Amino acid sequence: MTGDATPKRLQFSLLSAWPRPSTGQFCSDLLRSLAAVWVAYWVHCVFRAQDIKTRKHHIPLVDRMPLEPPPVVIVVVGPPKVGKSTLIRCLIKNFTRQKLGDICGPVTIVSGKKRRLTFVECNNDINTMIDLAKVADLVLMLIDASFGFEMETFEFLNICQVHGFPRVMGVLTHLDSFKNNKTLRKTKKNLKHRFWTEVYQGAKLFYLSGMLYGEYQTQEVKNLGRFISVMKFRPLVWQTSHPYVLVDRLEDLTNPEKVRMDPRCDRTVSLYGYLRGAHLKNKSQLHIPGVGDFQVSDVNFLPDPCPLPDAQKKRALNEKERLLYAPMAGVGGLVYDKDAVYIDLPASHSRQQQVSFRPVTSGARLTRLLWFCVFLREPGLQEEHIWDPNSQRERRKVVFPGEEENVSESSSDEHTESETMAEGAPPSKIQKLEEVKSCGQSVAELPAFADSNDELEKSEEEDEGEDESEEENEVGRAEDSGHCSEEEEEESADEEVNTDGESEEDEEQGGSLVCFFMKICLVYAISDIIFSSVQPPYQTISETFCRTEEYIFCGGSLCIWNTTDFLRVCFLGLKGTSRLGLRGFHALHQLVSAFWFAFPGALRWKEDLQQKAAEAFLRQQEAAPNLSKVVYGSGRVGFTVDSDEEDEELGGLFRVSRPHKSKRLQTNSVDCSRFPPDSSLNWNLEEILDSIRDCFVTGKWEEGQDAATLLKQDDELYGDFEDMETGEVHKSQTAGQQEEEEVQKNKRLEKKRRLKERFNAEYDDGDATYFDDLKEEMQKQAELNRAEFEEMDDETRVQYEGFRPGMYVRVEILSLPCEFVANFDPHYPIILGGLGSSEGNIGYLQLRLKKHRWYDRILKTRDPLIFSLGWRRFQTIPLYHIEDHNGRHRLLKYTPQHMHCGASIWGPITPQGSGFLALQSVAGTKAHFRIAATGVVLDLDKSVTIVKKLKLIGYPYKIFKNTSFIKGMFNTVLEVAKFEGASIRTVSGIRGQIKKALSTPPGSYRATFEDRLLMSDIVFLRSWYPVTIPQLYNPVTSLLRSVGQKDNWSGMRTVGQLKHDLGIRNKPNTDSLYKPIARAKRRFNPLHIPKELQKALPFKSKPKFQQPKGKMPRDLRRPCVIREPQEKKVAALLHALGTVHHYKKKKTTTVQHAKHKEFLQQKEKQEEAKLKRQKEAKKKLYRLMGQMDKKKLKSSLKGAPKDD
Amino acid sequence: LCINNNMASNGLSYDGCNFFRQRLVLSTLSGKHVKIKNIRSKDDNPGLRDFEASFVRLLDKVTNGSRIEINQTGTMLFYQPGLLYGGSVEHDCNLQRSIGYYLEALLMLAPFMKTPLKATLRGVTNDPTDPTVDLLKSTALPLMKRFGIDGEGFDLKVVKRGMAPGGGGEVVFTCPVCRTMRPVQLTDPGKIKRIRGVAYSVRVSPQMGNRIVESARGVLNQFLPDIYIYTDHMKGANSGKSPGFGLTLVAETLDGCFLSAEMSSTPQGQGDSVLPEDLGRNCAKLLLQEVYRGGCVDSSNQSLALLLMTLGQQDVSKVLLGPLSPYTIEFLRHIRDFFQVMFKIKVQKPSEDERKGGEKVLMTCVGVGYSNINKTVK
Repeated sequence: MTGDATPKRLQFSLLSAWPRPSTGQFCSDLLRSLAAVWVAYWVHCVFRAQDIKTRKHHIPLVDRMPLEPPPVVIVVVGPPKVGKSTLIRCLIKNFTRQKLGDICGPVTIVSGKKRRLTFVECNNDINTMIDLAKVADLVLMLIDASFGFEMETFEFLNICQVHGFPRVMGVLTHLDSFKNNKTLRKTKKNLKHRFWTEVYQGAKLFYLSGMLYGEYQTQEVKNLGRFISVMKFRPLVWQTSHPYVLVDRLEDLTNPEKVRMDPRCDRTVSLYGYLRGAHLKNKSQLHIPGVGDFQVSDVNFLPDPCPLPDAQKKRALNEKERLLYAPMAGVGGLVYDKDAVYIDLPASHSRQQQVSFRPVTSGARLTRLLWFCVFLREPGLQEEHIWDPNSQRERRKVVFPGEEENVSESSSDEHTESETMAEGAPPSKIQKLEEVKSCGQSVAELPAFADSNDELEKSEEEDEGEDESEEENEVGRAEDSGHCSEEEEEESADEEVNTDGESEEDEEQGGSLVCFFMKICLVYAISDIIFSSVQPPYQTISETFCRTEEYIFCGGSLCIWNTTDFLRVCFLGLKGTSRLGLRGFHALHQLVSAFWFAFPGALRWKEDLQQKAAEAFLRQQEAAPNLSKVVYGSGRVGFTVDSDEEDEELGGLFRVSRPHKSKRLQTNSVDCSRFPPDSSLNWNLEEILDSIRDCFVTGKWEEGQDAATLLKQDDELYGDFEDMETGEVHKSQTAGQQEEEEVQKNKRLEKKRRLKERFNAEYDDGDATYFDDLKEEMQKQAELNRAEFEEMDDETRVQYEGFRPGMYVRVEILSLPCEFVANFDPHYPIILGGLGSSEGNIGYLQLRLKKHRWYDRILKTRDPLIFSLGWRRFQTIPLYHIEDHNGRHRLLKYTPQHMHCGASIWGPITPQGSGFLALQSVAGTKAHFRIAATGVVLDLDKSVTIVKKLKLIGYPYKIFKNTSFIKGMFNTVLEVAKFEGASIRTVSGIRGQIKKALSTPPGSYRATFEDRLLMSDIVFLRSWYPVTIPQLYNPVTSLLRSVGQKDNWSGMRTVGQLKHDLGIRNKPNTDSLYKPIARAKRRFNPLHIPKELQKALPFKSKPKFQQPKGKMPRDLRRPCVIREPQEKKVAALLHALGTVHHYKKKKTTTVQHAKHKEFLQQKEKQEEAKLKRQKEAKKKLYRLMGQMDKKKLKSSLKGAPKDD
Repeated sequence: LCINNNMASNGLSYDGCNFFRQRLVLSTLSGKHVKIKNIRSKDDNPGLRDFEASFVRLLDKVTNGSRIEINQTGTMLFYQPGLLYGGSVEHDCNLQRSIGYYLEALLMLAPFMKTPLKATLRGVTNDPTDPTVDLLKSTALPLMKRFGIDGEGFDLKVVKRGMAPGGGGEVVFTCPVCRTMRPVQLTDPGKIKRIRGVAYSVRVSPQMGNRIVESARGVLNQFLPDIYIYTDHMKGANSGKSPGFGLTLVAETLDGCFLSAEMSSTPQGQGDSVLPEDLGRNCAKLLLQEVYRGGCVDSSNQSLALLLMTLGQQDVSKVLLGPLSPYTIEFLRHIRDFFQVMFKIKVQKPSEDERKGGEKVLMTCVGVGYSNINKTVK
């Protein structure tokens, strides 16, 4: 420990530095104080060290990461026009040297020897953001530096916080828009610090300084790529406990006939992607965010389309190993399916395909998109949805023989043969084909059929396999050349001969056209059309038929087998269109439909295959009697063994093959766990008794555990020694024989191991903590997990542990809504989120919720809210409540402003501790922050305990002393009876109790109070009324909306919105309305003071009764004087004289004033001078006096000794 | 049946009343609804028996929000499980089956409740058909402890003993809640170091116990000296309503595995009476049989062990069992139905010179990562 080493050193240095004190007292004092300080410091250090140490600890988790982990999901998010696609393109180019156009769907690349990356672009739709935040391992958060942060960034960060925080790396773009270097630096710093507060201090923020030819600078991208490829990821709880697939490819397997009959029928879809998270079990439940809950009908694992390079000791990947896989973006490379292999032949990077496949011969053909698809097994594979962006690339889909089938040598020979033939096909034919296509732009579509009523014999199967492969080869050849050669036509014609009566019948109906059912390999030739957008096929075909003289109906190789015979007919070309035409085609079509409906339940082609596989599997294991066969029956997980009991539900799926009769008996026998004893063993016999001797401690022990052997081993361990004195070598055993040598070697190794173990145990014992033990235990478990099924092949392994993460799986789901396929948009991610055992159920959830501090409104109880919880997004109606001190959940009308509150919803069962977020709307983008609330699941239940306060009000109508009769609170006697003994209260606070009901008026009762009531009192009873939660669970089905409308999902509206939209206004309570306030003038009565009091008051306080002075009465008023003119003149003169006099007087006074002032000044001056003089004189005098004093002092000083 | 329109959970359907408890228990744990049809539909007395109805009632008591529908004749049962609630539960078990019948199911459910379970079960504590409470106490509880179900108040107490057919016994089972199961590696049972047992007798002479002990020791002493069999004679109010006696033997190994055997006297008025000496001897032989079968878990608890393995973390669990009982085999099938978990079953044949009983079966599985969703977090 470093903690205790430092303080010791410190103490010594302190002591040595101090001068050695002389007195013992001082020294001991000092030491004592020093010791106290040191102890305190030491304690502090120890705690701190321990603190730091333990802070580094995380709860150890079992590392369940498989050896070959799935690609890392890198989600690139940011507001629009910030450079997301450009960044992905640059990164892809950086890793794979390939350019990608439009980024549609996930793009998987091999970035290094140990790592693959899947890039997903996240658009601005909040649904997408939520879904991708749940599956992201790394988030590249693009920020437009020239603009600053945008709301999306913060929204995404908050979504991440709720659903487990994946690694987040910020990337600043548009840095070239800054002209000023200083502002650039400042912006960078500001953005960085804001980003840090959101993510964590020191979170990585990358700067992409600018664009060069529409791309980011190579060096910067390279650096970013390097960061990505060495990054470590934290395991997130939700992700590690649930399997999930980020779908990178999907195909519609629905029977096209069914689709034709009802275009809105439910679809069977297979979805492909890397499995991540936990193990996925077949038949398990899963949720597709934006679509809904489904059950997996089948899961298979496929060869990795983007495999890691083989472990070789080299530093970099070569060009071939830099794989890129993005089927939705139209880059697939080689795609292996269960039934077929799809090959993509892009013009730019066809290196690897060329290796595995015949090189493209004709340059002209490159210009056209040729798309072939051969369906080997699936009857309903016609409709195919692979996103094909309008690229100029040529894409081809060619079929190889299926993976599982063993292609016999002969067929492979034929394959090569046919290839060569195809290569040699004359170019004129190609032109012909193109002619056909150009004139019709047509698609040859034919419903495919499969039919198998019975199980096939093994030999038949093999034949089939061969034939199939042959056929495939033929088809493949046909496709390769793009049309059919004459020879092939002949061949097919030859084969036609083999048809039985059925086929002849067909021939009658459809002219020379022969159809057979059981298995059809169908070839589509699509010129520029994406398959899904194709019109009903027969029209276009017939059109083609009519227009062309010689047409090629390419690829329709039809074959049939049933219980008795196996027929196969290939027809690759037909001549003489005039004979067929539309009518002929209809006939064919009818026939096809007839067959289709004749064997509705029998189209179990795939099942049959699985059965075959299962049988093969069983045959392998038949050699040894197999207990698992006894337990789990002959079938494998997930499919029916006895198909005749198909109508039964799932329980019937897992039937054990045992005689019918015994089963009947067993179904209702006694349910008892006792294992009846085996009567064959007679425990009186000695040999039987002997058979278990060793089970007891008294019996014989095993080699390694016997006390004697243990002792001996110890002896061995320490027995060998060399006596140094005598030079004699003591050996515990003499090893001589050759055969013993091996044993000895093993023993030595064993010994060494044990020694090492012992040493390790002793060595680590010092600071082995609980934490270390736990970690070790986890480590052991992880090793065991890895080792347990390692030696098994994947087929068997998936049965036991499920499909492990890292596998490329194909998940088949029945009955998906048709909109899912029809409105598929690769820009929106499809996620298959596996659900735990109870998570497919629904119930009440209790949550802890807090309104988001950036959301500008509070939330109202019973307003629908969209939750993102677990994998799901759904709308539900929450009720908010708060827990009172007594544990009561009291309903709240609104969420508190800055506080957590409880919320109860009706929703999917999700484990406690899962985070959620809530939104009011997912439609469109709004300026303000969209996340309304966040929180966590606390509890799951099937009932709720929320109550709301209910006050019942009554009025007394008769009052005795403490008893009153109350009416108006209840309506009937029965109601009162239920509340007998309940406590009541008046508004004024007098408490009381309900005693007994009174007969009249109904609902009135007698109550006692602690005091007498008044008639004006109001009595109330406070009660709690349980609230029910509305059972609304409305999944957000945003993925089902049409393209372009996916971000416009809107669910149930709130009452407020409804009122607003419909223009309804509540009639308000008139009492609540605002009216002009009319205040009556307050009048006060005159104050009356008793006379006695008045007398006693001092005068000041006495009321004054004097009237205010009124007007002077006329008689008292003086009369006005009216002067005579003479008098007026005299008065004017006198007035003038007076004015003059006044003036003169005023003038003289001013003059006098001035004079006096002058005089005063003069006097002051004189006075000053006088003072000055006097001061001088005084000064002189004092100086003289001082001098005299000095002299005197001097003389006295001098005189003193003289005197002495 | 439209249970929930847009949820993934789908139900299972079965025929007949056999393995009734398994189906309902697994349904409760997995959350999948179950429909059992044709319950004794061909029988003279069709439909559910009283003890099954009583079991359904017990299930209803420990859960919250379960939906149980039984048709008029009782030949069809639909069970939509709720959430396990737990708490204090009292149940008068039907006397047709002993408390063990109910307790076996309760042991499987108890760790996954919302609140710790305290179940008081009244009825027959010991009868010859089902595992008795003594056996479960001495084997199932230590087994569950191996899976991490432990803590304050994990106990099974026999308050009153009631023999078949009269009953009158009382058992208190308390179990703490548990969030997750620990994966186990029980691959080596170890050697048996001691044998313990309980010889109980009610409403008969107290000497019966001693006589049983004597005879049982006589057989077992050939193998081991460390044998102690308690005699448990309950009197008065604690002795139930019917007379009877019996013996439970448990062999404990060095590695903490328990193998057990038991035998009860035939219920009063049903069949021939047995002598205590015979019973003791036969019971001891049953124990030897159990030892012969071997494994880390005795035959009556196989299904419990397998269930707890299934419900463990997503890790590999291993357990060595004796030959699988028919009940266990069916249980394995049911586990596959409800949890999609298949066990890797490897038969270990005893070698020539080994004297360790018959074939063993090594069961390996990867847990489903089940966590107790009922427990409240605060």
